[in-house]
Amino acid sequence: MSAIVSLQDVSKDYMLGNTVVPALRGVTLDVDQGDFLSIAGPSGSGKTTLLNLVGCVDTPTAGTVQVAGHDTSRLHERELTDLRLRTIGFIFQSFNLVSVLSVFQNVEFPLLLQGNLSKEDRRKRVLDLLEAVGLSEHTRHRPSELSGGQRQRVAIARALVARPKLVLADEPTANLDSRTGGNIIDLMREMNRKDGTTFVFSTHDPKVMSHANALVRIEDGRITAREAVGAARAEAR
Amino acid sequence: MGARRDFLRVLFRIAFRNLLASKVRTGILGAIVLAGSLIVVVGSSVLDSIDRGMRTSIQESLGGHVQVYDADSEGTLELYGGLRGESLLEPIEDFARVKEVLSKVPNVKQVVPMGIDQAMVATGNTFDVALEKVRDDVRKLAAGARGAELLRAYEAHKAHVRRMAELLKEELSQARMLVDLEGREGNERRREWEALVQAASEEFWSRFEEDRYGNLEFLENRVAPLAMDNSFTFIRYVGTDEEAFFRAFPLAEVIEGERIPPGQRGVLVGKQYADEWLKLRNARRLDQIKDRRDRRGKRIAKDEQLQRWVKDNGGGIREILLQFDPVQAEEVSGKLRAALGAGDGAPLDALLERLFATTDEDFDEKHRIFYEVVAPRLRLYRINVGDTITVKAPSKSGYFSSVNVKVYGFLQFKGIEKSGIAGMMSVMDLQSFRDLYGFMTKEKAEEIRRLKERMGAREVAREDAEEALFGAPAAAPASTRAAAIDEDALVASALERRAGGEDLSARVYSQEEIDRGVALNAALILEDHSPWAIRRTMKDVRAASEASGLGLKVVDWQAAAGLVGQFVTMLRLVLFFFVAVFFAIALVVINNAMVMATLQRVKEIGTMRAIGAQRGLVVTMLLVEIGAVGVVFGLAGAALGGLVVAGIRLAGGIPAVTDLLYFFFSGPALFPTLGRGPVAVSLSIVLAVAILSALYPAVIAMKVTPVEAMATED
Repeated sequence: MSAIVSLQDVSKDYMLGNTVVPALRGVTLDVDQGDFLSIAGPSGSGKTTLLNLVGCVDTPTAGTVQVAGHDTSRLHERELTDLRLRTIGFIFQSFNLVSVLSVFQNVEFPLLLQGNLSKEDRRKRVLDLLEAVGLSEHTRHRPSELSGGQRQRVAIARALVARPKLVLADEPTANLDSRTGGNIIDLMREMNRKDGTTFVFSTHDPKVMSHANALVRIEDGRITAREAVGAARAEAR
Repeated sequence: MGARRDFLRVLFRIAFRNLLASKVRTGILGAIVLAGSLIVVVGSSVLDSIDRGMRTSIQESLGGHVQVYDADSEGTLELYGGLRGESLLEPIEDFARVKEVLSKVPNVKQVVPMGIDQAMVATGNTFDVALEKVRDDVRKLAAGARGAELLRAYEAHKAHVRRMAELLKEELSQARMLVDLEGREGNERRREWEALVQAASEEFWSRFEEDRYGNLEFLENRVAPLAMDNSFTFIRYVGTDEEAFFRAFPLAEVIEGERIPPGQRGVLVGKQYADEWLKLRNARRLDQIKDRRDRRGKRIAKDEQLQRWVKDNGGGIREILLQFDPVQAEEVSGKLRAALGAGDGAPLDALLERLFATTDEDFDEKHRIFYEVVAPRLRLYRINVGDTITVKAPSKSGYFSSVNVKVYGFLQFKGIEKSGIAGMMSVMDLQSFRDLYGFMTKEKAEEIRRLKERMGAREVAREDAEEALFGAPAAAPASTRAAAIDEDALVASALERRAGGEDLSARVYSQEEIDRGVALNAALILEDHSPWAIRRTMKDVRAASEASGLGLKVVDWQAAAGLVGQFVTMLRLVLFFFVAVFFAIALVVINNAMVMATLQRVKEIGTMRAIGAQRGLVVTMLLVEIGAVGVVFGLAGAALGGLVVAGIRLAGGIPAVTDLLYFFFSGPALFPTLGRGPVAVSLSIVLAVAILSALYPAVIAMKVTPVEAMATED
């Protein structure tokens, strides 16, 4: 299987006043197409930084990050934005829906940004996805009228609607109770299986980690272990 | 394409929903934008209308479209007078040449010569007028006339003079009780008093017929000056080619009398000037009280100025009493008694006092009584149509020049008749102006030469003057007997002069004579007088003047009007300043509100950026939002402004509450019109301010990175 994401000796430093705070130190990591990869580690370990680099919303201080064959350090801001639009879907810890838009409009938004589908095609795509995440009854609702779990499903639908190769999720269950969180992970896993979309998500919840087929442990900005979890379990089944 | 449109729709939806989501903020921003737009629309509509009014008033009363005058002039042309009197202009020596050259400039329709100046006008006093009537009668009697009508008039006129002398004596006796003068001054006053006692005495009048002319002379020289009426007044006039003037300035009209006959000398006296300076003061004050009451809703009971006028009218009765001979006095008394419902015995002065003691309740009635009963028997104006007046002015040469001109009529400027700016102006023929101005014409030089020859005058150097005058013993006059003036001989010589063809007032001047000579400035009337055409023609006129060596300074009507022309510019500056301050504040407020709104939305913006929205899109979203506020509320403000303007029109316009405003409104009220200009301007300003105030928030929005989306809420 080919790597959709490839990090070579990546470091990322932040400036905090006059002190350099290293967030990542020499990380090398490949993510294969179709992976359902969990990044685990305590707060401040560098999970989010790693996701930002993979998601092309940030660039490394040293090393190279390749996403879908593009070296992100060689791309301009506009090209990075375009790469995100066409290749990557995002799921956020606090859902980040546009509050003034309805469920349907929120999901449709990336398609409008892409601007290559007809209205009818967009409608079908959005409704199919909303049905898949179990929200076909709520298309006209505003995010504020939904529960946390429902909102995260909308976010998942939005992340998937443009059919990205890669979906990044930053602590997708952190703001949800464990049962809802479990359902969300199940949903993501289902999408992963059905379409072969690669998922990379960060979490510090062991229960959530157990759903992944690969697990990367990170501590103090270094990868400490890479294990095949769910995959082994799936194979064992 | 469809997707793009849908996308824009979403942008608008987000913008509008954001606006709706924070109604208070939107409301405040909207109110600011609406108020700004309203101010600009109403303000500039009113100003544009004033501009139009002023344009009409200036262009059609004196200014024309372009004015030219000598470029070497010390001062600048100020058609309506400056702060320091008349402007110092060098003369255009040969107007004919200016006319010839400038008439050929494209777009120039007419070239009107002008010379604006001030002069003194001798008006005589009421005593002189009464004496003139007696003298007239005496002349007729001397010529052998004996009609019953003439004899009756003669007696009445004599009685009038006697009555005036009595009134004066009464007045002066009161003054004598107040002051006790010593020395020369005292002797002078004593002589005056003696003359007055004599003029009022039975003896003087019983022996009047013995030496009519001698006694008249006594009255004229010794008594009449004691009446101390204003005997002269200042007049501001424009000397011009009257024909051309009336063609060029459509607002000018003769409201009483007639135009000056073509080519002749004469004067048309400004009506407003006549009302203010020549009208019987009591009548003038009644007019003013009426005007303030009717037009400005003032009341005598509450307004100090009106109370003062009523009081002054009480004190101004003498002026009226002096005008009546005993027959008229009796007539007026009878009618006044009836009109005022007074008792049989009431004397005229008491009746007049009662008439002028006006209150708010009886003002209109008494005003009517005055004009119906008293005024027709009065000389209301000190100068009347048909009079020949003597106009004097210091000439260029330093001496006083004077001319006698006939008053052909009263002049006013339609629509702005109440305004003193143009209404003070009288119109005089160009020849008389030139005589007063004193620039030596060929004709004049020749006349002086002839006079010198006849009188045997010779040039004497100043240092030799004494010797020449007194040095050589001269033959003593044969007799020093004081000769009474031989009236008959004087009249005869005057008639002879007239017969000799030297009577200037009847002379008709040809167009060539009118044109050939001095003018101070000239008004150009253009075919196309749009601002653009005026500018272009001014350039052509300058070129023509240069090419022909005329040395003219060329200014537009607004500059020529001097301070008056700057009025609207000044108002515009005030409005501009006000609007600028308003929008500066608006800018800060809107900017702040938008910064707050942007900061609140950092996460949302970050999310959009992460999902794949470019920076431009985020900025567009912000601009759409503030732009929508600008357009919606700006339009609403403009519409409201339109309603306000329409409301003002329906309510009868903005009244010209001061006489000055008549000029700028070109009429009694200003009817503002909503032009496309003000609406376009206000919307542009509002949008520009909105977008300017969104610039800083836009910068903030652009700096939001997708990373912000990842940050947790707290």
